Amino acid sequence: MHRPLTVSKNPITEVMGADPGLTRLVWWYLASATAWLVFGTLIGEYLGLKFTAPDLGVAPWLSFGRLRPVHTNVVFWGWTSLAMLGLALWVVPRTSQAPIYSLRLARVSLWLINTAVVAGVWSLVSGVTNGAGEFREFIWPVMGLFAAGLAVLAFDLYRTIARRGTEEIYISNWYILAALLWTLVLVSIGYAPGIQRGLADTVIQGYYMHQGVGMWFTPMVLGLTYYFLPKLLNKPIYSYSLGVLAFWTQMVFYTMIGAHHFIYSPTPWLLQTVAIVFSVGMLVPVVAGTGNFLLTMRGSSRTIGVSYSLPFILVGVVCYFLGSAQGTLEAFRSLNQVWHFTDFTVGHSHLTMYGFVNFLIWGGVYALLPRLTGREPPHLAVGVHFWLALVGMAAYVGALSIGGTLKGLSWLSGAPFMDSVRAMESFWVGRAVGGTLMFLSHLVFARNLWQMRPDRAAEAAA
Amino acid sequence: MRLDFHKNHRLLFTVVAFGFLGLSYLVAIGPAISVQASNTPLPGSRSLNALEQQGLEIYLAEGCVYCHTQQVRALPQDTLRYGRASVAADFARLAPTDVWRQTPRVLGSERTGPDLSNVGARQPSAVWHYIHLYQPRAVTAGSIMPAFPWLFDVRDSAGPTDMTVPIPASVAPARGVVVARPEAKALVAYLLAL
Repeated sequence: MHRPLTVSKNPITEVMGADPGLTRLVWWYLASATAWLVFGTLIGEYLGLKFTAPDLGVAPWLSFGRLRPVHTNVVFWGWTSLAMLGLALWVVPRTSQAPIYSLRLARVSLWLINTAVVAGVWSLVSGVTNGAGEFREFIWPVMGLFAAGLAVLAFDLYRTIARRGTEEIYISNWYILAALLWTLVLVSIGYAPGIQRGLADTVIQGYYMHQGVGMWFTPMVLGLTYYFLPKLLNKPIYSYSLGVLAFWTQMVFYTMIGAHHFIYSPTPWLLQTVAIVFSVGMLVPVVAGTGNFLLTMRGSSRTIGVSYSLPFILVGVVCYFLGSAQGTLEAFRSLNQVWHFTDFTVGHSHLTMYGFVNFLIWGGVYALLPRLTGREPPHLAVGVHFWLALVGMAAYVGALSIGGTLKGLSWLSGAPFMDSVRAMESFWVGRAVGGTLMFLSHLVFARNLWQMRPDRAAEAAA
Repeated sequence: MRLDFHKNHRLLFTVVAFGFLGLSYLVAIGPAISVQASNTPLPGSRSLNALEQQGLEIYLAEGCVYCHTQQVRALPQDTLRYGRASVAADFARLAPTDVWRQTPRVLGSERTGPDLSNVGARQPSAVWHYIHLYQPRAVTAGSIMPAFPWLFDVRDSAGPTDMTVPIPASVAPARGVVVARPEAKALVAYLLAL
């Protein structure tokens, strides 16, 4: 028997882009997000190579220390944030059965966020950092622009939800607007003066760097998935109540666990213990969320197989579970002794931000844009994007997880520090290979996105 | 209005925002205030002088914190390598840099290189630090630390007040001498003060 290498995928014929203004705006959010993705991961790729070739590119603005925060901040605030918001601009009005309150406000927000990221990159490359604490590297005038962008959008989406055509507020909107509100509170606290002297700043840093991920990216993509998954499978979500349970437990449990980034540090021991306990508690929203999505997918394997967006969502859901469970384990004092400060953590952040958040975004983009613009990307190219990204990520995370564990064990054994550097050499090569595949997949994605661009001629005719 | 999260958006999002704010107070703002209230430097310790403070700013700008921690955990793997475990008082003098920049976050999160909490005691030679910053592989085989040649000038000959760095011939520039710029002097002063 000869089996074909590729499975033919169903074309998308449904057209939902009734409002060309909204379609174009969603496109601009996704297009600028993708430009940041290519830029941010090109930097990441280059930084990964520096681990095996440290004398590659010796200049202040090409140095590891200045570009590392450029990579993280660009993929956070540029790529991931704008992509999620672009999708949310469609999902919120759609699930609220109401037109968006103001397209102009959303346009203002796009400018504010893009300006913030440009200014932030420029300042970091020039050596201006807020204090070199993760994700808090932009100085406040820059982060203020970003926050203003979020505030404008939060208002816009709140007004849209307030004018909804349904009696109930669909669960997607709980997650999406909550993420915006939580992040506004978070940035205000992170940048608030008066609580920054001595170790107080470290307490805030643990809180900030943790919630920056879990109260922004996690609820945003979960909210989006509560729309895209049932929509694509053409059936309701397995359990609406599980979604609500996961929502409240996410808010209460996740908020408590920032201090687990500073286990065994001189921050208050009680705070660290609380963080560990609630890190275990996080299994509740994670199992509720992933279980809900997987049970919704149950019995639909054929639909997933012939769709080119659902495989991305499946990977995203699985990585949500794997990455979160990994996070719980890393919080335990016994395992933290092995993994803390090693490359294992970098693997973990890519399993979550990339495997979970990015894959869910890509699933959403491939589901939505063809329906808005009536233009599909080549199915084969979507497959190439999917497999390059998935295999690349597996190699990346695998190499750093194994290498990071060996590094931690080397430290525990009391061997000289340089032993742990030498132990990592081949794993850093593995990471560079995985990272290269991931970067190549982004080029394919950028091309696919371009294929899905709005058709001005068709708009004019309609 | 009904007390129903599903139907009352004002109620839902008020609880969402203020609930999170309350929890944040419990787990971040409150503890931060209490930590700050007992913020006292170690007796007998001193603040950074102007040069060392400038060095700290270069340490941050060049992103040294992304590969070097400054927190020794009370674990044998740390204390055997880096000495006494850090205590809160060690960080008491850290404060916002100026109106634009917040507190230096020197504790760090990753050890691609070793912890630097007391590197000044473990590696007290300024000359070693200059060579190491100019080209780490000249003094530590297998090191993957970036080189920072822009903290140095290459001159035909050194002036009377210049700090000349004895770079090993294998990595020295083809001609001229390597002289520490003020930035290198500040950074090394900071490292030695640790």
